[in-house]
Amino acid sequence: MSNSAAGTSSKTRAASSQPSEPSSKRRRGVFHRELQHMMYGFGDDPNPLPESVALMDDIVVEYITELVHKAQDIGSQRGKLSVEDFLYLIRKDAPKLNRCTELLSMNEELKQARKLFEHDDENLRKTFEDDADG
Amino acid sequence: MKQSKDPFEAAFEAAFEESPPESPIETEPDPDADTEIPISNSLNSQPIHTNEEEEDNHVKNTTSINTAITTTKNNNNNKDDEEDEEEDNMDVELAKFPTAGDPHKMAKMQAILSQFTEEQMSRYESFRRAGFQKANMKRLLASITGSQKISIPITIAVSGIAKVFVGEVVEAARTIMKERKESGPIRPCHLREAHRRLKLEGKIFKRTTSRLFR
Repeated sequence: MSNSAAGTSSKTRAASSQPSEPSSKRRRGVFHRELQHMMYGFGDDPNPLPESVALMDDIVVEYITELVHKAQDIGSQRGKLSVEDFLYLIRKDAPKLNRCTELLSMNEELKQARKLFEHDDENLRKTFEDDADG
Repeated sequence: MKQSKDPFEAAFEAAFEESPPESPIETEPDPDADTEIPISNSLNSQPIHTNEEEEDNHVKNTTSINTAITTTKNNNNNKDDEEDEEEDNMDVELAKFPTAGDPHKMAKMQAILSQFTEEQMSRYESFRRAGFQKANMKRLLASITGSQKISIPITIAVSGIAKVFVGEVVEAARTIMKERKESGPIRPCHLREAHRRLKLEGKIFKRTTSRLFR
């Protein structure tokens, strides 16, 4: 199944980037640390069970895999994956859709602000140089 | 963008009677917070995806989480925690809660947040701060698609979608635990049952192989 293949390949990649542990079964999964905080935030115990975190990790990875495969099916006509494919896929799901659009618009705002920031930086520098010369 | 009924607002209205009777929390904004946050002074918002830069010490200011909150967290916590009421030195780390420039929602959020107990506040903080690391997500997406280049907006979008998904599963698992009258940490059997229910509801994608001529 392509699911488990993608899952295990990502797990082995994660494992190889971490120092090998002496304990035998050290498959911490892709999102172990973040998932613990996230599950607590969403209503779980402050210390969720490791089995629960591992299972949630698998569920999330499977979900993302399915999502991406579907997006590829849709976007394959264009040849590249684009954000619109994902937005189309979650169109029926109001919380996800709103959250996604919100995040993307915030990203845009940040980009604009960064541009402005650098632009202002340039202007400041220029005015200082002019003052220094004059 | 259509405004779905804000689940948090709904929970707020419903939970208003249930909120702890006396919990005036002094919202002392962290004095370091404002200086440490880049650029956001000119903005009212700061996306969650910058949290890997600020995760450890800094305050995360994000815009509206209204639509993202799928759990009626207040309800859960009111029934679960043991009503600890020492809120004297509650260090509220989330200073500003601009909600997409909507002053009405902002006022509501402030009202809600000022009444949080310590446990609720810490849970809320975890909720806001937790997120998938961009690097991990990028690696995962690259391995799934097989191509190396994953653009940043895709990473952001998928991280957001996955986080909301985790929330849905955890919330469904909590509901199941309430039905079975169990307490304590969530166990894998709850997660499996939650996953199964979400599948029945259609929130999880099913493989669309053509089943016409099986």
